[in-house]
Amino acid sequence: MAEPLLVGAVAYTPNVVPIWEGIREYFAGTEAEMDFVLFSNYGRQVDALIDGTIDVAWNTNLAWVRTVLQTEGACRALAMRDTDLTFATVFVARAGSSLRDIGDLAGRRLALGSRDSAQAAILPVHFLHQAGLGEDDVELLRIDSDLGKHGDTGRSELDAIRAVLDEQADAAAIGVTTWEAIGRDELMPDALTEFWRSPMYCHCNFTALDALPAERSDPWVDHLLRMSWDDPEQRRILEMEGLRRWMRPNLDGYASLFEAVKQQEIPARW
Amino acid sequence: MVSSASRLVLDLVARVGALADGETAQVPVLPGEEQVVAEWCSRTGNDFVEVRAGSAVVRRGRPPGTDEVLAELPPERRPGARLWLYTNFDCNLACDYCCSRSSPQAARRALGVEAIRRLVQDAAEARVSEVFLTGGEPFLLLDLDEIVAACTAYFPTTLLTNGMLFRGPRLDMLRRMSRDRLVPQISLDSATPERHDRHRGRGTWQRAVAGIRTALDEGFRVRVAATIPGDEMTSAEEETVFHVFLDDLGVLRADQIIRPVAQRGFAETGVALTVETLVPEITVTADGTYWHPVGAAHLDQLVTREIFPLDAAIEDVRRQFADHQRTMLGAARHFPCA
Repeated sequence: MAEPLLVGAVAYTPNVVPIWEGIREYFAGTEAEMDFVLFSNYGRQVDALIDGTIDVAWNTNLAWVRTVLQTEGACRALAMRDTDLTFATVFVARAGSSLRDIGDLAGRRLALGSRDSAQAAILPVHFLHQAGLGEDDVELLRIDSDLGKHGDTGRSELDAIRAVLDEQADAAAIGVTTWEAIGRDELMPDALTEFWRSPMYCHCNFTALDALPAERSDPWVDHLLRMSWDDPEQRRILEMEGLRRWMRPNLDGYASLFEAVKQQEIPARW
Repeated sequence: MVSSASRLVLDLVARVGALADGETAQVPVLPGEEQVVAEWCSRTGNDFVEVRAGSAVVRRGRPPGTDEVLAELPPERRPGARLWLYTNFDCNLACDYCCSRSSPQAARRALGVEAIRRLVQDAAEARVSEVFLTGGEPFLLLDLDEIVAACTAYFPTTLLTNGMLFRGPRLDMLRRMSRDRLVPQISLDSATPERHDRHRGRGTWQRAVAGIRTALDEGFRVRVAATIPGDEMTSAEEETVFHVFLDDLGVLRADQIIRPVAQRGFAETGVALTVETLVPEITVTADGTYWHPVGAAHLDQLVTREIFPLDAAIEDVRRQFADHQRTMLGAARHFPCA
């Protein structure tokens, strides 16, 4: 039997450990056994993927873009969560605010999450540019409280919301998952409201280099896609990782981030 | 100013989000904010445990469901797989460790063949896979062959007996029972009379051994179960002697059981068994439905005074067992040592 596929992930919370232990257990005894390695940040993980320490990386969208840029495209996305296909950025403000659209942010202060968060910093700036708003038009309050994790912890997004609630900013840009986690405007109807939502884009994916033979990655992907919401043990893993089904990737969903990285001259490597 | 409810939600997201699955966080709450915590937990798939000293205790993740808890057990040991029926409580013996307080003085409290027929029909629809008949001494009942036939028509059945009454009409009853579907389980505590007779009465060992021989000669597969008080636990050498004795009688090794006395019924010492620590095996008596056969004389193991409908009692026990398991799992995860 071949060596187990080695999958890298970033340990952004302690919950990452049971998630990957559960996924490893799911693959145990199959023709595509795997083990995992946890990293403290995405920079280290992408380095390890490129130098061959790991076979596959569970990458954020920014880590995917950086892998593509560093390898000049010699990599491929293997799979992603159903929730990665429909990710979005949400702009929120205090309930009762006069903000109705992204264009209304002219002359206002917008709180952003960590600068390496695609959903809470890089893409919001991109969407502002698309709406005709440059950095002279909107004052940006950057809150870099979880740098290196690409916004995975959600901490900087919560801090951005606090900045709005404390009236240090007029609005905050957060990922849709954080907006869902705080109960949208249903749990805090008198406090926050969503006034603009971005087009959908893709978030995480399993990334491999082209050097990884298909006969090693294909059985692993095939078994991953068979993980079932109807199986109680597998459902537990899916719930912890925030999805109902693993899906084939849709690379078109990364176009906006490639464009944003290029425009904002974000380096391929930090 | 930020409302306290908004801060509470942000605190919940930050603190619970930083936990591993199954761990708990405490988030300060003001009176009246419990509903916010409950709604947030409901939306996000977390578990609102309680409010303690002004803080909401929230466990990350959804507690495992009843089916998930039960899946941890082998299928044949899951609550509802085994159905025990106390045919009666009176007995020709008065063993000093009897968990059901059976004796010649005990009232019969028979379930009756009609109730048993209905119970096994209900059991067949409730995914029961095996039936055990016990007492008292079932062979005191002169319609036991009808009771056994009602059970073996649906399930593989085990009949617990002291094996001492196999003569006359009772032997005729035994002869009418299914060899394929019925296993008599005869109580025998030792390879020599001393230990057995000390607890069950003088001369009982000899008659039990004779009963084992009779059942074997009649073509039954026979199981033998020894009950050993805690202060008399056998040495490995004694166990070997006992097994060899039963081998020579013709009892298969897989059918030779040695178990400790439960601290129930007449037994003042023994293994302590509670609803919280005992995997349930639904037990129906004339007095009601119980958690486990060892507790059929104790109110703490009474599930319901009703014996019908059986499926409702099974479902209730499955749910209670899952609740206990989740509580123990939570305590095991969160009991701090320092």
